[in-house]
Amino acid sequence: MPGSRVRRSPKPSSASDEKDAINRVKDQPIMIRLKHVVFGAVGLPVIVLLGAWIGFFNVGASSGHWKVTALFLQLAMRSAVRTYALAVDAPKTLDRRGLPAAAGHFARGCAICHGEPGEPRSPAVMRMLPQPPNLALTVGDWTDAQLFRIVKHGIRFTGMPAWPARDRDDEVWAMVAFLRELPKLDANEFRALAFDAGQATGGEREPAAPAALADCRRCHGSDGQGRGDLVPALAGQKQAYLFASLHAFASGDRTSGFMALPVTGVDPADLAALARHFAAQRPLSADRDQVPAEMVNKGQQIAEIGIPERNVPACSGCHIGSDKNPIYPHLDGQHAAYLERQLKLFRSENRGGTQFWRIMATAAQRLTDDDIRAVSAYFSKRSEGPQ
Amino acid sequence: MSANVGLSVLVGCAFLLLAKGSNWAAAEELGHQRAKVIEPSIAPAALIAPQLEDPAAPQDPPGTGLSLFLRNGCGACHTIRGTEARGTIGPDLSHIGSRTAIGAGILPNSEEAIARFIARPDLQKPGVKMPAFDMLPQTEIQTIARYLKALQ
Repeated sequence: MPGSRVRRSPKPSSASDEKDAINRVKDQPIMIRLKHVVFGAVGLPVIVLLGAWIGFFNVGASSGHWKVTALFLQLAMRSAVRTYALAVDAPKTLDRRGLPAAAGHFARGCAICHGEPGEPRSPAVMRMLPQPPNLALTVGDWTDAQLFRIVKHGIRFTGMPAWPARDRDDEVWAMVAFLRELPKLDANEFRALAFDAGQATGGEREPAAPAALADCRRCHGSDGQGRGDLVPALAGQKQAYLFASLHAFASGDRTSGFMALPVTGVDPADLAALARHFAAQRPLSADRDQVPAEMVNKGQQIAEIGIPERNVPACSGCHIGSDKNPIYPHLDGQHAAYLERQLKLFRSENRGGTQFWRIMATAAQRLTDDDIRAVSAYFSKRSEGPQ
Repeated sequence: MSANVGLSVLVGCAFLLLAKGSNWAAAEELGHQRAKVIEPSIAPAALIAPQLEDPAAPQDPPGTGLSLFLRNGCGACHTIRGTEARGTIGPDLSHIGSRTAIGAGILPNSEEAIARFIARPDLQKPGVKMPAFDMLPQTEIQTIARYLKALQ
C-alpha cells in the first residue's frame, strides 16, 4: 500500500515526462516484432489457404503419409482417446447378454473393414489410409473405456464412424463386450455367435421371405424368440406393432444402432412382409430364470392395477387383451431383460418408438427401478399369449 | 483477402443463426396450428364416424366411442361406470357430459373442448398428468369426445 502511493505520486507532477515515455515506447523495436506476429497470424493462414486452393496438398491415399505426419497423427489419436476415455464410467464387469446382437452387428457393419475370424479382408480395405486395424489383433491395446470412446464417437479422418444411434450407450457397451471376446473366437465360433444356426432350414420353409430376413435372424433367431435376453422375441407379436416399429427404426424415430443398419434401405413392402413373417410365428413359452414369487406378485399388481398413489396406470389398460390398439405390443412371455431395458429407455426419453411412445414414457417416468424389475419379470412369466 | 474471409465467416454465422431462428419460429407456428386443427366443428366427423362402425360385431362395435376409449387405453386411468374402464388415476368420467366445465374448470364442456383436451391436455391445463393423444386420427378423437359428451 505505501509502495504504491510512492510510485503513483510523481505521475501527475509532469505531463511532459509521460509523453516522452509514450514516444520512447513507440520507437522501441517491440513494434517491429508485433508486425512479425501480425504477419504470421494473417499471412501464414493465407499462404496455407493459397496452397490448398492451388492443390498443393496431395490427398491421395496411395502414397501414404509422410513418416512425421503419420507419427504425429498416431500420437494425437492415441492421446486423445486416452484423455477423453478418462470421463467414461466403465462397468467393472461387462454385460455379456448382448453378445449375440453385438456379434451380428459386427458381422454386418464392422467386419467389412476390420475383418472377421476366418475371412480374408478385401484388398480395397487394405489400401485405405489409415488402414483399418485387424481388431482381433489390436483390441488388447485399449482399455474398456477407450474402446467405448472409440466405438461411440468414432475417429476423425480415419473412416471410423460414430455409433449410428444417440443415447444408446447400452449397445456400445455390448460392442465392447464383444470386442473383448473377438480375439478368442475361431471362424466357427464367430459364425455360431453372429448367425443363427437354424437359419438355413428356416429359409427353406418360407421361400417368399425378403432377403432382409437373414439379417433379422442373426439376432432374433429363426424361431423369432430372440437370441439372448436383451433381444426381443418377435414370434406372435402384433403385426401392426412390428410394422410400425420397423418404420420407426428406419426413420430414426426409435433409436438403435443395432436396428438402424439392417432396416435402412429395406423396401417398405419387405418391411410389411417381415412384420407378417414374425407375427405369424408361434410364440413359445420359453423357460425363464427363476424369480422370487414376491417380485412376480408385485409385478402382477402393477400390470393389473397400476400404482394409483404414484399415478402409474395399469399396464393391462393397453397391453393385455385382444381388443387393444394393434400398435400397442403384446408383452406376454417377452424377455425380462429386454423389457427392463426398454422401460428404462422410455423413462429417460431415449427410446422413441411408434407415434405412441410418449404415452409409455409418461408412465415409465413414474416407475422405480424395483417396479421396472418386478413388472418385467411378471410379463416374462405371463403366457396367456395372443387371444 | 483475410479481411474478406473473416467477413464472409461472420456473414455465414449470422445467416446460420437467422436460419435457426426462423426454423424455431416455424416449428412454433406449426405447433400452434396443430393445436388449432382440433378446433373445427364436429360436422365432418359426424359424416365419417358411421363408416368406421362395424355392424357385424354384437356389442362395442369397433369405431364407437366406447370401444375406441378402451382400445387406446383410456380405461387404465379413467372410470366409466358400467364399462371395463376402471382406472382411478384420472377423474371419473361417468357423468362428464353433465358437468358445466372440464379441465378443472378451465374449458367449457363441449365436444370440441373435450376433443381439444384429449389431443393436447398439456396445452389446456399446464402440469396435467395425462399424456397427449394427438397421434390418434382426428376422427377417432372426435368420436371419443362425442361419446364422452353424451355421458350425462
